[in-house]
Amino acid sequence: MALDPLHCVTCSDTAVTGVVVGIDGDTATVSVDEAYERVGIELVGPVRTGDVLLCHAGIALAKVEA
Amino acid sequence: MKFLDEFRDGELAQKLVRELAGLVEPGRQVRIMEVCGGHTHTIYKHGLEQLVPPEIDFVHGPGCPVCVIPMGRVDDAIALAERPDVIFTTFGDMLRVPGGRGSLLEAKARGADVRMVYSPLDALELARRNPDRQVVFFAIGFETTAPATAVTVLRAHADAVENFSVFCNHVTIAPPLRAILDSPGLRLDAFIAPGHVSTVIGTRPYEFISDEYGKPVVVTAFEPIDILHATVMLVQQLQTGRCEVENQYTRVVRRDGNPRALEALEQTMELRSTFEWRGLGFIERSALKLREEYAPWDAEARFPLPGARLDDPKACQCGEVLIGAIKPYECRVFGTACTPERPIGTCMVSSEGACAAYYNYGRTAIPA
Repeated sequence: MALDPLHCVTCSDTAVTGVVVGIDGDTATVSVDEAYERVGIELVGPVRTGDVLLCHAGIALAKVEA
Repeated sequence: MKFLDEFRDGELAQKLVRELAGLVEPGRQVRIMEVCGGHTHTIYKHGLEQLVPPEIDFVHGPGCPVCVIPMGRVDDAIALAERPDVIFTTFGDMLRVPGGRGSLLEAKARGADVRMVYSPLDALELARRNPDRQVVFFAIGFETTAPATAVTVLRAHADAVENFSVFCNHVTIAPPLRAILDSPGLRLDAFIAPGHVSTVIGTRPYEFISDEYGKPVVVTAFEPIDILHATVMLVQQLQTGRCEVENQYTRVVRRDGNPRALEALEQTMELRSTFEWRGLGFIERSALKLREEYAPWDAEARFPLPGARLDDPKACQCGEVLIGAIKPYECRVFGTACTPERPIGTCMVSSEGACAAYYNYGRTAIPA
C-alpha cells in the first residue's frame, strides 16, 4: 500500500483511503494510487465496487463519505 | 488525489492562517495538545508551527503507541521471539524499540525468527503456511489497531488455527488523557483529538474533557488543512466561551464510532486492571487483554514470560515529552546520545514520536 515512507504503520493515525476494485467474501481488494491491497471488510458491512474505504493494518475501518 | 489534494491546498491554508491571526489575542499563548503522533508528524512535515501565529503553541501528546510501550514488555517480546519454535511477527517500528536486553532487531541478528508484517492478518496467514511453527503477533496500538487484532483472533477461532497467538499490548486513549489532565502544574487550553481512533470509538469518549475539565476538543484528520481548521475551531471556542467536543473529521467519524468494530473488541478483549505506560507509569483500566475464552490465542496464557518491570534509562526524558511538560529539544540527550539511528527513548524511534519528528524536520534547537 502506498504509505508515506516516513509514517509509522503502527501509528493509530496511519490509515489510508482505498477504492474497492474487487470483493471476495470478507475480503476486498482496494486500490491506493497504483498499488493494490487486500483488506478485511467485516467491520464496515456490505461494500460495493467503487466504495472508498478507510483502511488500517489490513482492515477497513470505515466507508468514507464525500 | 481525491480526499488528499483538497486538504493540502496552499491558498486555503493561508486563508485559515489569516482567520487564526484575527482570532488570537496578541501576546496571549494558546496551548493546544495534539494527542496523536500522526498530528505531530503532519505539523512538522508541513511546517504548520511556523505558519500559525506565535500565540499558538502545539504541545505533543501521548498518542504514539510505539512510544508508550514500556521496556519490560519489549523484553517479554524478545523472550517470545527467542523461542526456537516461534516465528515472531511485528509491525516494523517495534523492531528498533530498545528494551532492557536490546531490541527485536538485535534479537533477529542473534538468530531469532522475527518477521515484519503489515497486518495481523498477514501473521495469521503465516501461521496457516507454517503449521509446524508457533506464530506470535506483537499486538500494539490504540483503538484504531485493536479491531484488526480482534478480527484476526475471530478468524483464527473460526478456522481453528491453533498455532497462532497474540501478545496483546493494545491501549486505550481516554485514560492517559485523564492522567495528563490530572498532572499538577500542566497548563493546556484545548485538545486536538485523534481522528482514526475516533473512527472506532466515536467522539463521545472525549466528552469528559469538556464536561469535567472545561477544555475544548476538536476531533480532526491528518492533512495540514484539517489541523489548521481544527485549530481555528478550537480558538473560536475559546474566544466565544464555548466548551464542547466538535468533529472536524465528519467524512469518517461518527459520534458513536463504528459499532461493528466496538462489538469485535468487546467480544474478544477486556480491560486490564492496570497497565504500565512508558514515561507515564501505571494507569488503571488503560489497556486491553484477550478474554478468557480466547486464551488459546493469547501468547501470555500459552507461553511463560519474564514479566519484569524495568526503569527507563535515567538520561531519557520521554515521560516529560509524552505529557507535553518539555519540548523534545529540552531533553538532555536529544540529538546527541539519542538519535533516530541509535534511540535511547521510544519517542525517538517511531517517526510519529515527537522527538523523531523534531529531529527529522530540523527542530533541533530552542527557537530564538
